[in-house]
Amino acid sequence: MANGHTARGQRLVGVALYGYLALTLFFPVAIVALWAFYDPAVGWFPPDIIPRSFSLSAWAEVLADRHILPAAGVSLLVSVIVTALTGALAFPTAWALAQFPFRLKRMVEVFVLAPVIVPGIVVAVSLGEIFFRFGLAGTILGVILVQIVGTLPFMIRILTATLEGIPNELIYAARTLGATPLLAVTRVALPLAWPGFAAGGLLTFIASFEEFEKSFMVGAPKVRTLATQLWSYLGGEALVLPTAAVVTFILLAPMLLIFVLAERLSKDDVMAAGLGKL
Amino acid sequence: MIERKVRTPILLLCLLPGVGYLLALFGLPLVRVVYGSFTGSSLEEPGLGLATWQALFANPVYMDGLWFSLWLGIAPTLVSLLISLPLSALMQANESSRRLFGTLYKIPLVVPGIVAGFLVLIVLDRGGMASRLATPLGLSVPRLVRDDLGLGAIIASTWKTVPFMTLIIAGAMAAISKDVLAAARTLGASQVIILWRIQLPLAQAGITAAILLSFIGSLGSYVIPSLLGPAYPLPLSVHMFAEGFQKGNWPMVYAMGTLLSVMAVAVLLAYYTIIGSLGRSKPGAS
Repeated sequence: MANGHTARGQRLVGVALYGYLALTLFFPVAIVALWAFYDPAVGWFPPDIIPRSFSLSAWAEVLADRHILPAAGVSLLVSVIVTALTGALAFPTAWALAQFPFRLKRMVEVFVLAPVIVPGIVVAVSLGEIFFRFGLAGTILGVILVQIVGTLPFMIRILTATLEGIPNELIYAARTLGATPLLAVTRVALPLAWPGFAAGGLLTFIASFEEFEKSFMVGAPKVRTLATQLWSYLGGEALVLPTAAVVTFILLAPMLLIFVLAERLSKDDVMAAGLGKL
Repeated sequence: MIERKVRTPILLLCLLPGVGYLLALFGLPLVRVVYGSFTGSSLEEPGLGLATWQALFANPVYMDGLWFSLWLGIAPTLVSLLISLPLSALMQANESSRRLFGTLYKIPLVVPGIVAGFLVLIVLDRGGMASRLATPLGLSVPRLVRDDLGLGAIIASTWKTVPFMTLIIAGAMAAISKDVLAAARTLGASQVIILWRIQLPLAQAGITAAILLSFIGSLGSYVIPSLLGPAYPLPLSVHMFAEGFQKGNWPMVYAMGTLLSVMAVAVLLAYYTIIGSLGRSKPGAS
């Protein structure tokens, strides 16, 4: 059912929506593409709107840079481990929050949400200093540990919302048929929680892959992820626009792939159920 | 509930992985931050005092940083809200464009903040695309990168926040029964009245969450202001990094961290108080 009354109204709404997209998304990304493919030998200076000649030299330079491909590997490794660990840590807690009545439940819920409320940089800087004492600073393990602090709350929220939606009758039925509580959880609840795992897992993976601040405070300068590597082209040593443009594309490619996957696999309402209230 | 009386050990065992992890790697560092802000020049030094706090509040550089942090938290949130609310409402109004648009508008969600900063840099910086396009038209683009108001940083944060807000708000609006909207229209309500009297109040829990999450995200962001913000003032997040990892002045870092956290919680509480007094929602009902 459409709310717009006329075809003209519908068209105007469409123009407004896609105009917004064109301005904020397609236009900037097109300019990144120009920067990634311009020819540094010729240069690209104002007032030229389009570079006078194109080349692949920035790409060759990036692929020859010995930091970039390992950084992509580290990013991928960290994100996969963070996603798996976040799911494993979150499920039992979400199960308890969704199924068990207990005192102080509200308090536990608020505490689980607290890492979302306290600015990430506070924990990142503090953990960076603590990890330094334990030799975890500048290690991949340290980066994984600090990232999970940021991803766990959302995963617990989303899984709790999903598990609350599972009819209790199914668990009862399994129990009546002789399943132990553990079996009922692993064979009935766990598979039924799949939409929550999919939504939460994709959110976690994306959050981990693009995470900068925590990884930077704990990992720099030894652990290089793609995001922190991009920093060294933009904010660190010097402003290298073509290289940054190429790394941007390398960073965006897997993100867009996962994004398309996410659109296929999960629905917004699962995500919104976890995030939609505080 | 499966079993009315769950044995406490099982409950604790279930809670342990998630809550235990957060206690160790979030609770502990946070306690250390708050405690550390009251210790002297080094953590090993015994005795508590307010010396660090006095130094923090007496230093105009840090105080400007505090206000600038708040500005960088509030401004993108307000601008994003002004964009997200109409976007969410328009998406409800146009079913046919919703599918494709509904996918594409979320792309910035997966784009790292540092890339958002990079986009603003190449479009809006002097010599960037906006000024190249505007110059032949006889227009000039005002200074938007490294400007005194942090407009570039605000634009980059907004760019990241709008899809996030729209996702939550549009989700909340989509959950409103179509019958209610149809009834309102039958009774003669215009689109604007429907938005104002029905969609906004009913989506209010989602809007609240979106506002708070966006504010907190922008309040503590490091990479966007350090890339696009002015050289002065610097937000507390940037000060924290410099004080800690470059100067080793950890008590000051802890005091700033405590202050930022208190700000976030204060805004949260203030927001719930205001919303609660409007009588539209029960604070903390979730």
